[in-house]
Amino acid sequence: MIRQIVPFFTEAFGVLAGNRTRSILTVTGLIIGVAAVIAIQILGKGMAGAVTGVLSQLNDSSFYVFPNVRQGDVDKAAIKYRDIERTKDIFPNILVAIPAGTVDRLMSVAHDRARLALSSDSDIAFANAPLAYGRALSHADVVTAAHVCVLTDNAYKRLFPNGGYPIGLSLRVAERRFVIVGVEGRPTQGIVPVNFGGDVKIPYTTYVREYLRTRPLFAARFIVRDPTKISETEIGVVRYFKEIKAGRAEYQTFDRKSFANGVDGIFNALTLVIALIGAVSLLVAGIGIMNIMLVSVTERTREIGVRKAIGATRTQVLAQFFIEALLLSLVGCGIGLVLGVAIGGLVDRYALVAISGVVPSLPWLQSIAIAVGFATIVTLVFGTYPAYRAARLDPIEALRYE
Amino acid sequence: MNERDTTAIALRDVTKTYKTGTLEVQALRGVTFAIERGEYVAIMGPSGSGKSTLMNLIGALDRPTTGTYRLDGIDVGTLDDDALAAIRLKKLGFVFQGFNLLARTSAIKNVALPLFYAGVGSRAREEAAARMLAEVGLADRGTHKPNELSGGQQQRVAIARALVNDPAVLLADEPTGNLDSTTSEEIMQLFRHLNESGRTIIMVTHDAEVARHAKRVIRVKDGLVVADEVAALDRAPG
Repeated sequence: MIRQIVPFFTEAFGVLAGNRTRSILTVTGLIIGVAAVIAIQILGKGMAGAVTGVLSQLNDSSFYVFPNVRQGDVDKAAIKYRDIERTKDIFPNILVAIPAGTVDRLMSVAHDRARLALSSDSDIAFANAPLAYGRALSHADVVTAAHVCVLTDNAYKRLFPNGGYPIGLSLRVAERRFVIVGVEGRPTQGIVPVNFGGDVKIPYTTYVREYLRTRPLFAARFIVRDPTKISETEIGVVRYFKEIKAGRAEYQTFDRKSFANGVDGIFNALTLVIALIGAVSLLVAGIGIMNIMLVSVTERTREIGVRKAIGATRTQVLAQFFIEALLLSLVGCGIGLVLGVAIGGLVDRYALVAISGVVPSLPWLQSIAIAVGFATIVTLVFGTYPAYRAARLDPIEALRYE
Repeated sequence: MNERDTTAIALRDVTKTYKTGTLEVQALRGVTFAIERGEYVAIMGPSGSGKSTLMNLIGALDRPTTGTYRLDGIDVGTLDDDALAAIRLKKLGFVFQGFNLLARTSAIKNVALPLFYAGVGSRAREEAAARMLAEVGLADRGTHKPNELSGGQQQRVAIARALVNDPAVLLADEPTGNLDSTTSEEIMQLFRHLNESGRTIIMVTHDAEVARHAKRVIRVKDGLVVADEVAALDRAPG
């Protein structure tokens, strides 16, 4: 079987090479179509990755609750620290419940000063940020409401413009002092620069004592034990807060998964729409191939007649034209695949990564599937009909064709 | 009529009717003749005489409506399309008026084409094609494409292609129709040479000057054989 088929590839290749201009034009349409669809698909994935990458700062077990900003008097919806503490007793799934406040303060280390946001944090990490120096907040820090802090990469850069070892140094915030126990490493950013915490993190117990006496508290952060039940817990907490305010306040929640799903949904929809446009261009390219193959059948009617007179069977003529279409679509889709991955990959690398710092993985399997799938469809749908027409030609008629 | 082992083709009461809509055209109205191996026959007739139809039947491009046609002992009328193709491949070699070489394809590849369909390996194809080209006097033109060859040379390539499968019958349809008289003479000499080395040649023509080269002339008119005569040539009959 293979021994019979291989010569047809050689023969078809010879015919296509003989009609170089026609072959190149046919293949070009395919290359553009396939490359466009693949590049678009890679870019869509890259953009969604860049946006959701920012959320890697959060873990899947944490969520926020904060007053819905679209209500009349937001201040009335302020959540009391006491009520936040209580959720731990009411909801067994809640492991950590802390106030999620930040305050902006002028702070200094030795002679370097900067205005930064101070935020409350727990010893159980909300973020997955690696540490560049020292340690994270400890349970003891929280229990004793210690005056210690962990700097983010941003805070370290501002307060240590010349670098230097920060651990054990004193951070001054007005009349208060915090010992620097740790510095976080550089986070992955994402194209939306969202900062969930502050620049300087202190134990929430310390935060409550030093900064929460007089001001209302707007949001709360939670960590759950079982992330699969996070939605139920979120709903429960919101209902609990509403009941405290006798239903006169609205709250909303935020967690990584639902946000990521939302972003993914948007980009998947966008990618789908653009990919559909690409698919239309592929359809046009496919019809182009069929048109050229049909023209080729007409143009080569005499040749087909000669081949048949010489003794080519229907199957052999069918195979010849079919394999010509197959070769064209293989070459077109192959080059399109390489080009599409190259364009998509390069734009990802030099545009999206530069903005977000998130390096997306190339969807090789999907790209190859698109190229192979389209090569198959083009060959079967647009290559078969012209091949069938050629095979069906009556040799006497074909030989008489001028 | 007795068929012998040496009979190349035998037609008996062959008719061919074409239907165009409700109109029936009887192109052949009962043709009977046989051609022995090694013969050199010209089939002559004016246009519309049925000689093209006869040619298509002999060439296994078509089947008779009634009657039988045996080629090398095989009843062609009963065969399906693929079997007809196989017959054309193995038993027949075609030479056309317009040469009908594949453009953009070297002479040697053109000659090798029937062997491609016969499933012969590429090296054996090229070797056989080169031998055939040498036999028609174009040993040094193998790599040339048809547009780089003169008309006479193209027809020689076509003849080489027709003979490469060692067919039982060489079938030529107005082989000199597109050639000037000098070149025509060369082709006719080639045909004579081929016939003298044992090839069976059937040539369809309306040109008496060309038919003169054959050793036997069958005249067709209005779908019937009107004359079948051995030409009085000044050379020994094959």
